[in-house]
Amino acid sequence: MRPEEAIGSETVEAREARAPFRFPREMVVGLLALAVAWEIVSWFVPPFIVPGWGRIFKSLLGLPLDFVLVTLARVVGALVVSFVLGLGLAVAMYASTPVERYARPLVRLLMAVPVVCWILFAVLWFKWVEFRIAFVLVVVCAPVFLVDALDAMKGVSKDLRDMLRSFRPTRVQLFTKLVLPATVPAILTSWKINLSLAIRVVTIAELVGAVTGIGYGLVVAQELFSVSEVFAWTLILVVILFLAEAVLTRVEERILRWRA
Amino acid sequence: MKGAGAIDVAGLRKVFRHTGGGEAVVAIERLDFTIRQGDMVAIVGQTGCGKSTFLNILIGLERPTEGRVAIGGRTPYGDFDHFRGTLAAVFQQDRLLPWRTALDNVRLPLELLGRAPDEQARRARAWLDRLGLARFERAYPHELSGGMRQRVALARAFVIEPALLLADEAFGHLDEVTSAALRTTFIDLARTEGHTAILVTHQLEEAIDMGGRILVFGRPGALLADIDLHSWPRTSVAGLRGDIQRMLQSNAPLKEPPA
Repeated sequence: MRPEEAIGSETVEAREARAPFRFPREMVVGLLALAVAWEIVSWFVPPFIVPGWGRIFKSLLGLPLDFVLVTLARVVGALVVSFVLGLGLAVAMYASTPVERYARPLVRLLMAVPVVCWILFAVLWFKWVEFRIAFVLVVVCAPVFLVDALDAMKGVSKDLRDMLRSFRPTRVQLFTKLVLPATVPAILTSWKINLSLAIRVVTIAELVGAVTGIGYGLVVAQELFSVSEVFAWTLILVVILFLAEAVLTRVEERILRWRA
Repeated sequence: MKGAGAIDVAGLRKVFRHTGGGEAVVAIERLDFTIRQGDMVAIVGQTGCGKSTFLNILIGLERPTEGRVAIGGRTPYGDFDHFRGTLAAVFQQDRLLPWRTALDNVRLPLELLGRAPDEQARRARAWLDRLGLARFERAYPHELSGGMRQRVALARAFVIEPALLLADEAFGHLDEVTSAALRTTFIDLARTEGHTAILVTHQLEEAIDMGGRILVFGRPGALLADIDLHSWPRTSVAGLRGDIQRMLQSNAPLKEPPA
């Protein structure tokens, strides 16, 4: 048994997330193998089912790439709003038990509604397209921020809380010196979850009524029966997601360097 | 006038009731005693004798069911905020904040007291230095050994120069050598700084090393003996140990006090 296998229950991903950067050889080999297999399949299958890489890259060059920026701006904007709302409500629910008792079922209700329903509500309720998209993203992402932050706040170790209380902090000090910093790891994790959630949801939200953005680009590609364009957009989305996750992981490493 | 570190315990009783009904647990049956300003007191007893509960009441984290505990005439649970900056505790585990460096952990109580940042840093550094940790002020707790972490916790308690210093089984979880060294440090510092110090322990050596008074707690939470090491009629440590052990085993005071 190799020594690193002895670590036990920890997943490979969890271990790699904390390891110093090294070239991800296995990942690159795996992806290259997939790409090669894809190319080979494309030789035997008509291009409107599996287009070859040549076609995909040609489509890639022809795409309106400003759509990428538009979609990214929507995601980032909605995430910032969701974060402020989610954390603000989490603090209110943490500070007051009655608020928590009333608000928790409502939050659960929000989380139980499928994304498609939110999109339909957005279309029925709001006229302005940007607001529709923002509404759907916020209503999906804010509860994730809220629940993760609140659970982390409530999970702060009693030992540490007692230690701090023995020094007689004010309520604000107890929160800023202990509860909030103890919640940072959970907040970073919920950013990661929400980023991939938002990138997947935004494209669906953009299908309805938007005339810009990657979702709209996908609709156009589908209407033109341009399979290689659909694949090109998909490729862009996947790359964005991977890059965003890599950036967040680095940020996490910097902020959480106090962790063993 | 009573000093800020003098403690009065009168008719103290603590019963824990579970919120969902069920049987109540008596943690402290009845305690009455006083501790003078500057006293070095060890509390010994077996598991379940209510010594940690007593300490939590003294810190102000729990309230008595009956009776009262007063420090300098005020109750630590009632006048909670009055004890800002006068009381510090060292716990069983170091309880350092893992996201703060050693220096920032020691600064914490000074931050809470609203001291100026340069004063915080200067005093925290001085204490880390006194505890032999000057080179490690930028280390995070996970980078330090158990003994070093507990030293940081000691520095964090001493840095506010508290009138009352409490230690709850603070050295028992470390290896013997480290634990003895830390105990000596704690006792020396408490003595030179003139604090009232209370050390809760289940180890008789620790209690005897404190060199002041030993309160022997029986189960549940009752005083079996209040031993003043200067006036107890035994001359040998072995004899004293035997006396305490007999009391703990029988959970009763000595029938015939040593002549």
